Amino acid sequence: MAKIEGVVKDEQGVLPGASIKIKGTTIGTTSDSKGFFTLSAPADGILLISSIGYKPTELSVKDYKPSSGSIYRVFLTMTSEDNNLNELVVVGFGTQKKVNVTGSVGVVDAKELENRPVQNITQALEGLIPGLNIGQSNGALDTQADINIRGQGTISTASNASPLILVDGMEGSLSALNPQDVESISVLKDASSSAVYGSRAAFGVILVTTKKGKAGKIQINYNDSFRSSSPTLLPKMMDSYTFALYFNDASTNGGNSAIFGADQLARIQAFQAGTLKASIIPNPSNTQYWGDGYAYGNANNDWFKIMYRDHSFSQEHNLSLNGGTDKTTYYISTNYLDQNGIMTYNQDTYARYGVSAKINNKISDQLSINYSTRFLRENFQRPSDLTTGFYGNLGRQGWPTLPLTDPNGYLYSSPSPALAMAEGGVDNTVTDWMYQQMQLVYEPIKGWKTFAEFNYRTKDTFRHWDAQQTYNHDVNGVPYLYGKSSNVYEYGFKENYFNTNIYSEYTKSFGKHNFKAMVGFQNETTKYRDLSAQRNGIILADIPTINTTSGTDANGLVLAPSVTGQYQNWATAGYFGRINYDYDGRYLLEANLRYDGSSRFRADNRWGTFPSISAGWNVAREDFWKNNLDLISTLKIRGSYGSLGNQNTKDWYPTYVTIPVGTANGGWLLNGSQPNTASSPPVLSSTQTWETVKTYNAGLDFGLFKNRLTGSLDVYDRKTLNMLGPAIELPLTFGTAVPVTNNTDLKTRGFELDIAWNDRTKGGLGYGFKFLLSDAKTTVTRYPNLTGSLNTYLAGDQLGNIYGYTTLGIAKTQAQMDAHLATSSNGQSVFGSQWGAGDIMYADYNHDGKIDWGSWTKGDSGDAHVIGNNTPRYRVGFDMHFEYKGFDFRAFLQGVLKRDYWISNYYFWGATSSQWFSTGLVQNLNYFRNDPTSPLGVNTDSYYPRPVFGSDKNQQVQTGYLQNAAYLRIKNLQLGYTLPSLLTKHLGGQKFRIYASAENLVTWTKLAKMFDPETVDGGDDQSVYPLNKVFSVGLSVTF
Amino acid sequence: MNNRLIVLFITILFLASCKKELNQEPLSAITPENYLNEESQLGAYAIARYTKILPSHANYTFGTFGTDGNTDNMAIPDLDTKFEPGLWKVPAAAKDGNWEFTNIHDVNYFLSTVIPKWKAGKIVGSDVNIRQYIGEIYFLRAFEYFKKMQEFGDYPINKTIYPDTKSVLVEASKRQPSSAVTRFILSDLDSAALLLQTSPDGNKNRISKSCAQLLKSRVALFEGTWLKYFKGTAFVPNGTGWPGKSKDYNASYQFASGSIDAEITYLLGESMSAAKAVADAVPLVNNTGIIESPANENPYFSMFGAVNMSGYSEVLLWRQYALGIVTHNVPVFEQAGNYAVGLTRAMVESFVMANGLPIYAPGSGYKGDDYITDVRNGRDGRLTLFLKEPAQKNVLLNFGAGDHATNIEPVPQIFETSYEKKYTTGYTIRKGLSYDAAQCGNGQGYTGSITFRASEAYLNYIEACYEKNGSLDGDATSYWHQLRTRAKVDPDFQKTIAATDMSKESQDWGAYSGGALISPTLYNIRRERRNELMAEGLRYMDLKRWRAMDQMISTPYHFEGFKLWGPMKSWYTDDQLTYGAANTNAIVSDPALSVYLRPQEIHSSSNAYGGAKWNMAHYLSPIAIQNFTISSENSDIAGSPIYQNPGWPTTGGGTPN
Repeated sequence: MAKIEGVVKDEQGVLPGASIKIKGTTIGTTSDSKGFFTLSAPADGILLISSIGYKPTELSVKDYKPSSGSIYRVFLTMTSEDNNLNELVVVGFGTQKKVNVTGSVGVVDAKELENRPVQNITQALEGLIPGLNIGQSNGALDTQADINIRGQGTISTASNASPLILVDGMEGSLSALNPQDVESISVLKDASSSAVYGSRAAFGVILVTTKKGKAGKIQINYNDSFRSSSPTLLPKMMDSYTFALYFNDASTNGGNSAIFGADQLARIQAFQAGTLKASIIPNPSNTQYWGDGYAYGNANNDWFKIMYRDHSFSQEHNLSLNGGTDKTTYYISTNYLDQNGIMTYNQDTYARYGVSAKINNKISDQLSINYSTRFLRENFQRPSDLTTGFYGNLGRQGWPTLPLTDPNGYLYSSPSPALAMAEGGVDNTVTDWMYQQMQLVYEPIKGWKTFAEFNYRTKDTFRHWDAQQTYNHDVNGVPYLYGKSSNVYEYGFKENYFNTNIYSEYTKSFGKHNFKAMVGFQNETTKYRDLSAQRNGIILADIPTINTTSGTDANGLVLAPSVTGQYQNWATAGYFGRINYDYDGRYLLEANLRYDGSSRFRADNRWGTFPSISAGWNVAREDFWKNNLDLISTLKIRGSYGSLGNQNTKDWYPTYVTIPVGTANGGWLLNGSQPNTASSPPVLSSTQTWETVKTYNAGLDFGLFKNRLTGSLDVYDRKTLNMLGPAIELPLTFGTAVPVTNNTDLKTRGFELDIAWNDRTKGGLGYGFKFLLSDAKTTVTRYPNLTGSLNTYLAGDQLGNIYGYTTLGIAKTQAQMDAHLATSSNGQSVFGSQWGAGDIMYADYNHDGKIDWGSWTKGDSGDAHVIGNNTPRYRVGFDMHFEYKGFDFRAFLQGVLKRDYWISNYYFWGATSSQWFSTGLVQNLNYFRNDPTSPLGVNTDSYYPRPVFGSDKNQQVQTGYLQNAAYLRIKNLQLGYTLPSLLTKHLGGQKFRIYASAENLVTWTKLAKMFDPETVDGGDDQSVYPLNKVFSVGLSVTF
Repeated sequence: MNNRLIVLFITILFLASCKKELNQEPLSAITPENYLNEESQLGAYAIARYTKILPSHANYTFGTFGTDGNTDNMAIPDLDTKFEPGLWKVPAAAKDGNWEFTNIHDVNYFLSTVIPKWKAGKIVGSDVNIRQYIGEIYFLRAFEYFKKMQEFGDYPINKTIYPDTKSVLVEASKRQPSSAVTRFILSDLDSAALLLQTSPDGNKNRISKSCAQLLKSRVALFEGTWLKYFKGTAFVPNGTGWPGKSKDYNASYQFASGSIDAEITYLLGESMSAAKAVADAVPLVNNTGIIESPANENPYFSMFGAVNMSGYSEVLLWRQYALGIVTHNVPVFEQAGNYAVGLTRAMVESFVMANGLPIYAPGSGYKGDDYITDVRNGRDGRLTLFLKEPAQKNVLLNFGAGDHATNIEPVPQIFETSYEKKYTTGYTIRKGLSYDAAQCGNGQGYTGSITFRASEAYLNYIEACYEKNGSLDGDATSYWHQLRTRAKVDPDFQKTIAATDMSKESQDWGAYSGGALISPTLYNIRRERRNELMAEGLRYMDLKRWRAMDQMISTPYHFEGFKLWGPMKSWYTDDQLTYGAANTNAIVSDPALSVYLRPQEIHSSSNAYGGAKWNMAHYLSPIAIQNFTISSENSDIAGSPIYQNPGWPTTGGGTPN
């Protein structure tokens, strides 16, 4: 045995708290406050030194000479893990030193995802990698964020441009993954880095690598978080009286009578004053029942506050073990997430249960076998009535005057959303994911490795919903059937996915010439089937199963059950090869070739060949750079080009025409029953073939000040060619949907920049900043729009252009309006009539003496012109972290710096042309009125023009109401404290950390106050389940 | 080396197995080659077209009973822009407007697929049924074309489906003169009549032979009268300024009969013979005069709101509804304010007295219109039956069953604003009412909806006969007698004709053709049609073919309801009677305008204030501008084979002069 005395240092000085272990044993110690340690070890032992934030280092005792007797003196300098371009990056079918990467690859490691109180990893990824765009346009517990790499890649209605997501080499789902199992994530952004994955990777790849066991003593980690969520933003309704006056104004401005009569207005006021207790009166024409809520209600409700909770509680627990020997390592984890939604009635919930295990085993020096299995269950439940229509209806149908309860205190639907939500049944979906992955690695001679991977995934979904009958109560409190229909629906879905990857690589160096070559084969097969049944007539409300349905409606009439069942398959196969060459790490070259076949195309058109190439120059490795290394230690210039096919058509059988047939679904009954139906088949283009994506990428990586300042810049040009674009416009005599053809090209140009600074002061303050900026702009370069119509895409036009009119302002008087109308020959009559005070004056933008839209084509659009663009531009992320004496702090901001948005719906306008698609939010109160007798007062300096039911003349797309949807949001803020290692050790552990974390804390935006800038794309009419602000606390312990 | 061999072996195995995997065909869908080969498949295809082409009750509307809103029969609060010249504009986008061919494509797909197979004997099943379903499709194509022809006049005649080749579709966009379209429709209906059965399903839910005959009489009468009243104008082929003349393909058009007059005679004759076939075969349903008819005490009353209409001889085709499957809200609106579709004063006044005299005729016995009771007193039995009056019972069965029932008819709720509650004119109908409260769950009604009724054939015959011959033959006289007898009106129509003073009928648009009052005989034929077919959705078609709106080009028409500013004003509170054109709180029209309620002229800010007006161009709809550009090889309007309808410009948002 040798006695080892050592000091651990880093670049700044001594390093306390580093762990020193003897490899293959559980013997170990920790460095003290001066970085000093002592340890007894075998003379041929190997020491493993590790510390969080530093690269683990090994040293062999026998490399040292004993300084006296068996005492060995060891000095060790740890290099910090961050910002090191020598780290390995996971790339397609392998890893590569970051310094040698020539394509465009973004990387996130587990640390950046830690302790985020999010439901799944996608939410945590937002803003972490420039060019990886994540849109969380909806906060509902079952929705998945929309992911794209480098902006909009397609405008096709027939194909998808979503990235390929691989978990440990197998296609998987980011939502069906325990976030704590993630070790690192690589994003392959350009065609050259993703080329090896072929036709499913045309729009980039996200590679997730999960944790695996480390040799050594068993390590147990437990962490948890307890969360409270509340909506980031809820629209706020006007009070009932104001609302009624507002609607009355909108109606009378449209030349119609007031909606709320004097009697109802009086009751609304009395109810607000508290002198009237009843929220509604009995129906005058049928006094047994309460009246219709719209016609007779006088309550004062803010339905957003009623239907959504202020806050809801959630928790997550995670336990993992890992350890092993030189030959075998293992990693086992379990995860439990219990998330509650914010629906007040019949609260929605999402639970996730996960177990995973990974075993890596070396059978011999030549052969090793790795096996992993993951099971994940998702259980989502919502009220049956919470369908996507709910969010929009809440605004347009949730008049504040509608009673929540009738005067007897029963929930009353008149109609109103609460009753059906509370008592209308539940919709529950359980999804089980089972992953099995086996990998054989065979290395018969040094440098030649062959991998054989067999991946199998099954996904089972069972969905149940029951729609229950609901009861209102009449004036005497006697219940009566209101929602008459009841039914039970059951759905089962099974997907089998099988994937084989076999590839072989050979690495060889001749002097400074390094070669690596790989060839491989990949095959994927997916088969799914589903089955559903629905039957009406729940016999007992408490037992909602198909067995216990009567098959009849409320009147005893027999209704046919509805059943469905289908099978679908697809398969791909691909051969690929890659060659890497570098000279002394200075000149880098990589070439890929993939030959791909897809079942989506018929045999004669099935196979495509897709090449890519990339090169790099590590300037900092040149001799002439030697003197600059202190200042600039890393400098690499790289460039790439690649071409990929896209086989991701939405339809699994896009070349087959099928007849739409319906079973017992006809609306024209025959002898009281629904007949079977059939319709004409859609028309397909006979020429349909592959879309191609070509990407040019140029990049620069740099590291300054001993890599404390690092960064990279990428600029790219991506062309989506021969896309299945939206169907062209043909004479309507065609009579059916025009088939899509490969008729469109797009070009996306953009850049990505990230700059990071990481340092640790002598005083022990570790800190870092990271700034990300990216941009993408997409232009249609080919589309057969012969007439130049502005209703569809135009070649040469940037995607997202908003055509509209220029607003001169709101006319304050009739005279002002008349004077304005006189300036044009048609008096802006194309938009409407009855122009007066409070209406919009539109500009004669093209000075032709009349205000119109011409033929609504490019070149003849009259006074309409491009007033903005709704593409999110200049996406930013800003991350900073500090740690000092066990405390750590992190703030992460994310945003979009430029974006215009046109919102045409009632959430913005309040009253629109249609009374039933209108609402009254507090912001809408700032509308033009000039009636001194109005209880709301005169407001001639208003933001909004006068509301007019029956006309949209004031709500044309126009500059005056164009929204600025740019924003900056504190996505995450967290504060943690790690107990000093001595104390931890005393307690028998290795690490003990407590933390508090907040999500979506503050948002800065100029967008109209009723909208969340992140959800402005979501739902119909920008109405979605709100995003949440989450506060959480938790702890993490490692033994 | 063993290991290496294993790896090699596995590799070869997988490389070999994958190629076959890539051949994937749909596993649970039917390809077109395997369909429309069997009788029931034809039936499924045909029945799916019904709801897309034929009229019936849609939910949360007043169904077919509300179709006549915005005619001189019935008024709704929002006057249609066709009566507000300057506000009806040429649409810009092709998708706006009804110049479209979806239904036509769908029927043509069937015919072009099925007919060759049928002729080759390759369709499995009963020949009777196969013929029935093919007949249905011919009928539906005719119906769809008739809708297009009424709206646009000249229209492309497409008998097949086309590839997605622009030049072919441009060629197919050529508009055929309306008279050619009519001939095409009549030929389809002849084919249908040959193929259809008399009673295909025993329940009158499927199209029968008499439907084809009735529709034929309707179409022929439409075009016959259209040609007659628009003769010489731009609205008929070869008339002065007919825009079709500007296109080569129509420049030398000749009527199939050689001349427009011969064509008119031909069409009216066709209408007569088709109408006679129906009228002689189908007797009228009995009218007992009983209003409260919960158990079919009066078949003529119950027919319009029955759950099962198959037992009424006059019903030729009806759509069935069923709770929990397909429902509508007509029963709820029947018991309330008719979804704001109000009967006009002009409609109510057009009914004669039971003694056959017009209300203004000396000795008519008319009690005046101070009260609705008075209005109904002694009148044509149809007005007595179908005009609602406060305090009448609306529910006689299943009291309390539907929470939206109105048990007792209230005074007209003219002060309400929502369509669900509003009585627009004060006059409402009970034609189509169900006395069963179980029909009155909101949106849960399931009374049937009549698509074709044989009494129209009686009326078509009478009118076609008079328009053709200038006199009434024995059949016409007999049909008219039958209708009046059933209506509980003195059958002696000559008495009514003799007592008719055309100057007193000027509130009826049907009293005019081409801006001039017509003869009392023709007027009474039209009056009979108006009264019998009240609220059955055919009024606007009639007004167009009669060219009955020219007079409003110079003289605005004021829609009026009941006599609010008579004694009936005591039914309302002062608040409910707020008026004043400039008063934003106004609820009713100013008595200074009229003692009768003018529901569209309450606020001076209303577009309808000042009355309904007309423009000649409005007889036909404009074609959206984009249709011209996309059917032109050079994307220019002039290069398109399509021509715009008379009076309409070719600019988006443009209005006729």
